[in-house]
Amino acid sequence: MATSGSGTHPHTVSAVHGSAAGDDIGAVTDVVLRALADPQRRRILRLVRGGELPAGEIARQFAVTQQGVSHHLQVLHRAGLLRERREGTKRLYTLDPQALDPVREVLADLWPSALQRLKHIVEHDQTSAGDHPPS
Amino acid sequence: MTIPEPLTASVRIAAPPATVFPYLVDPALMIRWIGHWADLDPEPGGVFALDVETAAVRGRFLSVEPPTRVVFTWGVPGSEVIPAGSTTIEILLRPDGPDTIVELVHHDLPPSEQPAHLEGWSTCLGCLVRALSAPKTAPAKRSPGGP
Repeated sequence: MATSGSGTHPHTVSAVHGSAAGDDIGAVTDVVLRALADPQRRRILRLVRGGELPAGEIARQFAVTQQGVSHHLQVLHRAGLLRERREGTKRLYTLDPQALDPVREVLADLWPSALQRLKHIVEHDQTSAGDHPPS
Repeated sequence: MTIPEPLTASVRIAAPPATVFPYLVDPALMIRWIGHWADLDPEPGGVFALDVETAAVRGRFLSVEPPTRVVFTWGVPGSEVIPAGSTTIEILLRPDGPDTIVELVHHDLPPSEQPAHLEGWSTCLGCLVRALSAPKTAPAKRSPGGP
């Protein structure tokens, strides 16, 4: 994000900014959406939204192996949807309350990137048009 | 139920507000930075319609004050989370020397305690995310010109 441009090559700077912003957001939202796309993972989220549960307790609720549940927990944790806490050998999971508002999360990421595009386009148009800004 | 804080975002643009403003109200200019189709009637009560890939964003202009301020409602018809017109966006253009500071405030977003909507997220959000984050409006290339 910290691409430094002297302003003498606005085209190049725009291109770098544009693609970098798109990739970042795409990657982050992709992880969250993929985590949410699985019905078992959504069930895990519902299970832990009321409070912390140990991994073993969560696994008991499912007709899959503990390994399978562990994998789901890791995916959810990595996507930022679950908080993980260790207590001795136990791992405890709870829903991350901030992750409960993906609309907000998505928009919180999207508006800055949209405004960046606005910036680049306006400045690009200014440069191309010289002293004749579009009306 | 607590009222959620509005989302804010801002950017500095090396152009005066009068140059930036049309990009917020002219459909042909707007779709160069967000969405791929727009129908905008920039006057109070006028239509605000913006298609971003498979998501249709619909609302109404509430206030249009060139070249410094525009306010419109914003939502997705059929969405439980953000129905058409359910949220409000205010964009302020503040001159700062030769530049403009653009401040966007997104009000009335739904409160965060909505786990019942888990299923909806992956579908309705999917289109919004793909749509709004699609970097296909990358400004590096020359645009083919007017509409």
